[in-house]
Amino acid sequence: MYEVLMFDGGVYRVNELYELVEDIGGFVIQKTQIQVMITVTIAIPAEDRPVIEAKTRELGGKLIEVPLAGTEIAVVGPTLGRHHMPHPICDIAEHLRKYGAITVVMGLARGKGRQTAQISADEKAFIEEYDAAVFVLGNFADCILKDKVRLFEKIEVPVAVVCGPEISELPSCEALVCGVGRKVERMRRAEEIAKLEETARAVQRVVQERKEEIDEDPLFVHPAEVKQRIENLELVQQSLRPAPIVLHLDGLRVKVPYEQVKDQLCAIDIYGRKLCEITTIAPSRLGGSTMVHILTKAQVASRDLRSLGERAAKTTLDLDQPERKAEVKLP
Amino acid sequence: MNIQVEGSEEYGNEVYVELFERILIDLGLTNRVEGAKLLIYPEKHLFIVTVRMRQARTSVKVNEVADVSDREGNAFLVIRNESYAPALLALLWKQFGRERIEQLSRLEILAHGVTTERVEGLQISPGEELRKEVLDAIWRLLPEGFKVRHNLFDENVMTIVSTEHTMDDEFLQMGEKAHEQMVKGMGLDEGTEVVDDEEEGEGDV
Repeated sequence: MYEVLMFDGGVYRVNELYELVEDIGGFVIQKTQIQVMITVTIAIPAEDRPVIEAKTRELGGKLIEVPLAGTEIAVVGPTLGRHHMPHPICDIAEHLRKYGAITVVMGLARGKGRQTAQISADEKAFIEEYDAAVFVLGNFADCILKDKVRLFEKIEVPVAVVCGPEISELPSCEALVCGVGRKVERMRRAEEIAKLEETARAVQRVVQERKEEIDEDPLFVHPAEVKQRIENLELVQQSLRPAPIVLHLDGLRVKVPYEQVKDQLCAIDIYGRKLCEITTIAPSRLGGSTMVHILTKAQVASRDLRSLGERAAKTTLDLDQPERKAEVKLP
Repeated sequence: MNIQVEGSEEYGNEVYVELFERILIDLGLTNRVEGAKLLIYPEKHLFIVTVRMRQARTSVKVNEVADVSDREGNAFLVIRNESYAPALLALLWKQFGRERIEQLSRLEILAHGVTTERVEGLQISPGEELRKEVLDAIWRLLPEGFKVRHNLFDENVMTIVSTEHTMDDEFLQMGEKAHEQMVKGMGLDEGTEVVDDEEEGEGDV
């Protein structure tokens, strides 16, 4: 299993780190250089961590845990109104970023109220494009347990719920953090920061479970490896969006319109195969982006078998046809 | 300032008192609100807020806050007390129309075709502005989905009854009762109080 870490140090001899990462079969996900200092996010096989730690010590840098690196998380509020934003939704999103996640803040169109609160199929589909979703709800247990719980029912990605009152259990969610609720000011007191930490830990747990689930039937290639190939495309390099490629647990989001980039993506060569043979490439529902979902090794093997079968059937058919023709030609 | 709360959920009650205090601080209204009472019953889809404001500044005549002089048949005003400037401008617009009122600089206003006598006698009422600000604070506090509202206004007391569905008679009666109590100033000297219905019920048993 890959582990994502962040190297924080100087640029002097940093190439040695890149080479070592490559040697052990890891990837450099992101580099951010500020004058002579650099932060490098790397994905490495978990068992090779001591080697990287030793190299980091040698280079005089430090390794920082970024357990949510390589994930994109949606933080969802009932609406975009000032009752819910910027606090606490943006505070939670900001705190998750400290752990390496890319976060997106969303408000539902009709999430306000109790019995009138609803989520559309489109909104669910948007949320399902992310690795996990954090739903931030209000202060009344009665409201959450009877009505708001509908908002995150049947969402196929892991859901963490943040709410105000102490609730022992909530259906349809993988994690629950109580004691936040509605806020009209920034979460900066010690107990509020502790709650943000608790939320981050809950999201980490949910993401870790998802990673373990993926490892049971591993992906054909790691998303970081696909990212390395894709970032050389001219269309991606021309993209002015802050992070043109965002890693997901089981794929990536390329922030270039599907229609423009689909053929180029499909043609990318990875281990002698075309990218479209080992992934599903689809337009993002948000528009202007393309989603790449990497198939698992089992799915690719199954595809191979199927195409082999089809080829064999075709060959048999080809062999049969000349005989039939010959028969026709006989007097 | 004294905020009382009554409702069925202890956590929600405490949080909403804190929320209202923060909202009033943000809007700079803590010294202008004498007391408030919140009735919160999420299971009934009911939220009532009643607020008692302190006496607003008394009405003043225009010549008390501005120097009024004649300039070629038009009234020329130089504002002395800037805190009254928005209210004064709004009053002049309302009385004589926007096309006749020209704001020459931050503190100078020219009223075309208006005599000084007509301007000097006008009264500025800052109470209206205070009511607007308090109403803004209440709207910020009320749950977003509770769109069906009934308002009760008195000279210094403002009550909003809000619900998500039909406004029942029971809700209106509760609102009127809370409004009357607030008008009489009942319980405002007792300090911040959180009443939890569930706890009360347990005590009765």
